[in-house]
Amino acid sequence: MDTAVAIRGQARTDADTARAARRRILGFAAEQTVHLGSSLSVVDLLVAVLREAATGPAGTGDPNRERVLLSKGHAVWALYAVLAELGRLDPERLGPLAGHPADQVPGVDAATGALGHGLSIGAGLAEATRLRGRDERTFVVLGDGELNEGSVWEAVMFAAHRRLGRLVALVDRNGMQQEGATADVLDLSPLAAKWRSFGWRVREVDGHDHAALREVVRATADPADRPVVLLARTVKGKGVPFMEHSAAWHTGRLDRAQLDAALAVLGQDRTVARA
Amino acid sequence: MPEYAISAEPIAPPRAPTSTSTRMPRGMRPVIAEALAELGDIHHELVVLAADGRALALAFAERHPDRFIDVGIAEANLMGVAAGLARGGHRVVVCGMAPFLVRRAAEQLRLDLCRPGLDVTVLGVGGGVGYGTLGATHHVPEDLGTLAQMPGTRVFCPADVHDAAWAVREAVLGGGPAYVRLGAREDPQVYDLETRFSAQRPLLLGDPDTGAPGQALVVTAGATVAGALDAVAAVGPLGVSARVLALTAVSPFPRAALLDAAARADTVVTVEEHYAAAGLGAQTALSLAGHWRGRFRALAIDDRPAPVLDRTGLFRFYRIDSAAIVSALLDPNPLTE
Repeated sequence: MDTAVAIRGQARTDADTARAARRRILGFAAEQTVHLGSSLSVVDLLVAVLREAATGPAGTGDPNRERVLLSKGHAVWALYAVLAELGRLDPERLGPLAGHPADQVPGVDAATGALGHGLSIGAGLAEATRLRGRDERTFVVLGDGELNEGSVWEAVMFAAHRRLGRLVALVDRNGMQQEGATADVLDLSPLAAKWRSFGWRVREVDGHDHAALREVVRATADPADRPVVLLARTVKGKGVPFMEHSAAWHTGRLDRAQLDAALAVLGQDRTVARA
Repeated sequence: MPEYAISAEPIAPPRAPTSTSTRMPRGMRPVIAEALAELGDIHHELVVLAADGRALALAFAERHPDRFIDVGIAEANLMGVAAGLARGGHRVVVCGMAPFLVRRAAEQLRLDLCRPGLDVTVLGVGGGVGYGTLGATHHVPEDLGTLAQMPGTRVFCPADVHDAAWAVREAVLGGGPAYVRLGAREDPQVYDLETRFSAQRPLLLGDPDTGAPGQALVVTAGATVAGALDAVAAVGPLGVSARVLALTAVSPFPRAALLDAAARADTVVTVEEHYAAAGLGAQTALSLAGHWRGRFRALAIDDRPAPVLDRTGLFRFYRIDSAAIVSALLDPNPLTE
């Protein structure tokens, strides 16, 4: 069912979907403590990739579906919200919502939450797809803070060495991690050069520009003999000006006044991702 | 009457211990390598992964090159790739050196493989102190307990090549996650080709069951089985009758079989190439508690740093060798220790 995709008979844009997903995330945060900043930053990326992933979500039983792994599992609130807006998940029917993706949740291809696991699992899925003689893609969404984990770079080396051309990594490059800027905690720069030197194709994109995201995600369907990473420049807390670029909103729970204030200004931000 | 249910299934009949002189040492790796290749011949969904250590996988890789992947020296990635392959419909065997698989990739093992119950078997070469003189970095006297504490995971600790070949097939074909500790060097041969193994009904070896109370029971697994049999043979002439419960599957722990075997014993001694806290000592004590009364002694590795010794020397140092078992059987609760 895709009723959430159509509003009053009009085609819904990705921007509409993303805005509604951000409203949902804020709603989740009124009920429990959630990872707000990174959920808000990754919404547009998830809209693009979940729209693109060809053959439906996990749980459909189709072994040949394209897979989407949210390796930065703490942003699960964005996953719940976008899946709900795409009509693939009814959060009301899940019962209490877990703070990280769990198996058995529709749309979750592997439980995550401990950082640095998803890309290896994605590489294994890509190997399985290749052994079946198929060419479905495996998408893995990572955080930039997550790239501190050495296991990520084991997987990066492995995927390039194995020429996993159907593996797509997407990095939510919001420039922040729990305690502050990635540049201050453990500098990742030059990030594109790092991935390139490890043998990956690199595409850089504005992680809040829906048209650009759709185009670059769609282009990953083109045949290739090397994996590709999309480095998506994003804003932590995107959409709520007083949460943006702020480590203070890494996690949070909103009281009524804060929720009202956030909903009132949602989408009124003019911030852009820092280069 | 004992308070526990005795299974209708008979315990394997006692066998006379093989004498030490006939126990020609053999390495497990060539036998397991061929077993893996044969499994690959039959099960086309089987994929074998290695981390820059191919001895176990050579035959498989020659016969099924498209289903063999060496990920390099990267154990965390190794487990994640195994998880992805298993989620993609494959049965997966992961080979490597036990200390690095178990310790370095513990989080991936637990979260990516065991928690979701994936069909992945981890073959850990040189568990316990099997790497001897290579030292502390290569010793992992906690491998069995670590894996036993992972959800839904079957853990095997075979004693020799026949036991190991059975354990690997049982692990791979049994469904769900499994770990098998394999020897890094040569192990004494304990069993013959005709021996039939069972996960729930471990072998009872040593002296015949006298049917009378007062026999001692030695509970052990893996490389300490041979020493236990030697010890039982040594104490017989001294008037101590003892049997050996030789486990291959250590988790799930075969509690019913233990309680059956211990029912008339007045002494139980556990012997393991492992720490007692998460090993046979603890599991045996937990199973016996409230159901059995007698003298109990746990021989196990302790946390003293290992001196530079081979595996035999380390067994002596940690007092898990046949001489230590003899002492325990003759005086299970010495006041001086």
